[in-house]
Amino acid sequence: MQKRPPLVWLAVPLLLAACSSVPKPEKIPGSEVIHLAGKLEATRFKLANGLRVIVVEDHSSPTFAYQTWFDVGSKNETPGYTGLAHLFEHMMFKGTRKYPEGKFDETLERSGAENYNASTSQDYTDYTQELPSDKLDMIAELEADRMVNLVVDEKSFSTEREVVQNERRFRTENSPDGTLYQELFGIAFQTHPYRWPVIGYEEDLARMSAQDAEAFYKAHYAPNHAVVVVAGDVTPQQVHETLQRHYGSIPAVQKQPKVLPSEPSQTAARRKTLKLSTQVDKLLVGYRIPSESHEDSPALSLIQSVLTNGKSARLQRALVETGVANGVFSADIDGSDPTLFIVGANLQKGRKAPEAEAIIRQELKRLATENVGEAELERARNQLSFQFYAALDNNHSRAAFIGRYEVVVGGAEKALDIFQKTLATGPEALRKTASRYFQDQNRTVVIGAPK
Amino acid sequence: MKTRNLSFFILLGLGWTLTAPAADLQFEADDTLPLVYLNIVVRGGAVEDPAGKSGLTNFMGEMLLRGTKVRSKEQLDQELDQMGAHFEEETRGEAVVFRGAVLSHQLERFLPLVNEILTQPAFPESEMKKLKGELISALLEEQGRDQALAGRHFDEFLFAGHPYGKSVMGKVKDLEGLTSQDVKRQYESQIRDGRITILASGDSSAVARLQAWSKTLEQSRPGKEDAPRVAAPKATSGRRLIIVDKPERTQTQILGGEIGFKMDEPDFFDFYVANFVFGGGSFHARLMNEIRTKRGWSYGANASVRFSRQPRSWRFYLFPAAKDTPAALETVLKMVEEWRDRGVTPQELDFAKTSLINGAGFLLNTPRKRIENRIQEITLDLPEGFMKHYAEGVARVSVESANASVKAHIHPDQLSILVLGTAKDLKEPLAKAAGIPVEKVQVIDYRKD
Repeated sequence: MQKRPPLVWLAVPLLLAACSSVPKPEKIPGSEVIHLAGKLEATRFKLANGLRVIVVEDHSSPTFAYQTWFDVGSKNETPGYTGLAHLFEHMMFKGTRKYPEGKFDETLERSGAENYNASTSQDYTDYTQELPSDKLDMIAELEADRMVNLVVDEKSFSTEREVVQNERRFRTENSPDGTLYQELFGIAFQTHPYRWPVIGYEEDLARMSAQDAEAFYKAHYAPNHAVVVVAGDVTPQQVHETLQRHYGSIPAVQKQPKVLPSEPSQTAARRKTLKLSTQVDKLLVGYRIPSESHEDSPALSLIQSVLTNGKSARLQRALVETGVANGVFSADIDGSDPTLFIVGANLQKGRKAPEAEAIIRQELKRLATENVGEAELERARNQLSFQFYAALDNNHSRAAFIGRYEVVVGGAEKALDIFQKTLATGPEALRKTASRYFQDQNRTVVIGAPK
Repeated sequence: MKTRNLSFFILLGLGWTLTAPAADLQFEADDTLPLVYLNIVVRGGAVEDPAGKSGLTNFMGEMLLRGTKVRSKEQLDQELDQMGAHFEEETRGEAVVFRGAVLSHQLERFLPLVNEILTQPAFPESEMKKLKGELISALLEEQGRDQALAGRHFDEFLFAGHPYGKSVMGKVKDLEGLTSQDVKRQYESQIRDGRITILASGDSSAVARLQAWSKTLEQSRPGKEDAPRVAAPKATSGRRLIIVDKPERTQTQILGGEIGFKMDEPDFFDFYVANFVFGGGSFHARLMNEIRTKRGWSYGANASVRFSRQPRSWRFYLFPAAKDTPAALETVLKMVEEWRDRGVTPQELDFAKTSLINGAGFLLNTPRKRIENRIQEITLDLPEGFMKHYAEGVARVSVESANASVKAHIHPDQLSILVLGTAKDLKEPLAKAAGIPVEKVQVIDYRKD
């Protein structure tokens, strides 16, 4: 076999450049440039009201992605009102005085908007569009308008609540996977808001009113709580001028300091088995891990890659190749607060979840006690490198990559820093990290078994 | 205004053309990132599965990734993963698409491996056994996912024995009976140069290497024969209703539709625009407006046309709460009738055309999308460049031509309707909502193979 330099050597020079933020004098005052990868760079600036703006130029097509990321998610809800952040996300499409109900959608659809959507997570809420490049002024006006002028009335709230209740039936009640995720977070967390599902509990949805939604809006939707990312056929100057014109007069709203309850240390393994409408056993194993900005985050990403990235990854071989499971995945959930490292598997016909659980625990123990060899580490790093580049492949995914890192860890450049540190993580650090988190008392197991 | 909108699209269309440095290679340059995406498109897919051997094409495609004459599956997996590369197989009704993705500096190492996978398969018995276990378990797992399960049963119900009604993954019973001889025969007949087109995008420095490699692949699998075309499916007579009975559903899946038409038929754009008004991907579409916005019955409600080399299907889809299901079905059926009888209004048509034309550029705005368009043209027998003329086709649609196409293709009295839900609660009210005698409603267990 021909000897080639490992991919990490290609990635490092790119990333060395990536981490230097060099202000360009001819650009917008206070702006900074972040080199992303390849030919891509981002320009970041802030309006006086606190709105953060990031622009990635790419003139290869006369289109651009426009995304607004709000620093609010289900973790900002209170018990009894779970699901409000997501339900409110639906309300954002309802109407303002200038653009009454239906007009927002109609204007966007007439303009040919693509990837026109929104989503809510535990940590953030994002609103996305892709548009022809002559529509920058239009979308900035629409988004600025609904950031501050939304009309929340009881009638539209009531109809949208029914839609969300139906979405809940789809994603959770009638879905074995959705039910299992709800249980996993519900058991692993006892005090932190990550314990409830983003879509909320049915009884809470039934309880909410338009007034609750309005109060949520006033508290959380403001320019200083948001990041706007524009990627594509635009220039930073053009975006600055346009956004200043539309958002500049919107006042900042003082962030209400909310100290989220910190989750007490887990002292014993937790587990639950559910009888579900499934023909095969399903397994979710969660280990408590720190937030994405923690120093162990890079090693946890590398562990995730060693375990399940690619068909030769350890758990693929131990579970799928042996005929125990039909598929396996792992995810170091990237939370702004301490969250979970999840390993999940669908079992093969006739195999039982505890068998897979034992193998997963054995593999995690091996990671915590034996150093991973260099060839295997290189494989894991190369998989992550590919994922990194693929995430920057087009305007929509670039904007999403940047927006998410801005709201979760406070800056796109930190994503690059995490990535660089991930590639630089050695076997010893990986082993120590595994031994720190993959402990019995840190584990929550949820099993879905056929009724 | 339309001129300006069209110019946006035309700019995209003229600016980007696929280069074809070799007969079998089409390449889209994109030097933004050091990546190369590779697509090997094989015409002919699951419709070629012989009777009693459903799932064979997909099985063969998967088996190609499970060992060659010189490498075991484990060695193949390790080699691909070591490069950070991906190489996967996707079987469709009338195509098998192998998709690769690799960092451009690994291309030299990647391409010989792809060649080895496609030209020197081993089909080891041990891997046959493992793959059967995985696929059968995947089919069982699908029984827990109502949307996918309903879609599979709907195709089977609508096409009533025609190959378009077969699941690409096959049936449990058929998979159990597949032999390595079956797999080899399928490979020998399908993986042939005459059926293969290679399309790639990414780092332009890859072109010369890809060109040389594509010639090697061509020489390794000679054979000029194209994939055979299946007979056109026949419409069933009368309205039909089937319930896929699954206990304890608080929500149902409703699908209804009929045999559709081919994408290259003269009124394709007329119907496409009319369907956009009825249930296309717009919040202003009639279905979305009546079912979601006004009544809050279903998170989603849409109507779509699926295409193949022969007429495939038009269908509507929604997923209301179980308690709202009969009323939702009755409402949708009335809407279909009204759509056919009265057609679309000039205002609706203007909105649909403006939206579709302005959005047309997004069919072409990235190299990978342009490659996907070309794959669609190749696999559906469409002329090269068909997708580039999409906006012009939409612009030509009139109210009269749109409404004539709805009358030609929509037959409310011949709809096949499937509801996945709990039959004991729903059978009678659904029969009433569909206007079908209750004794004619079919009920099948959701676990039916």
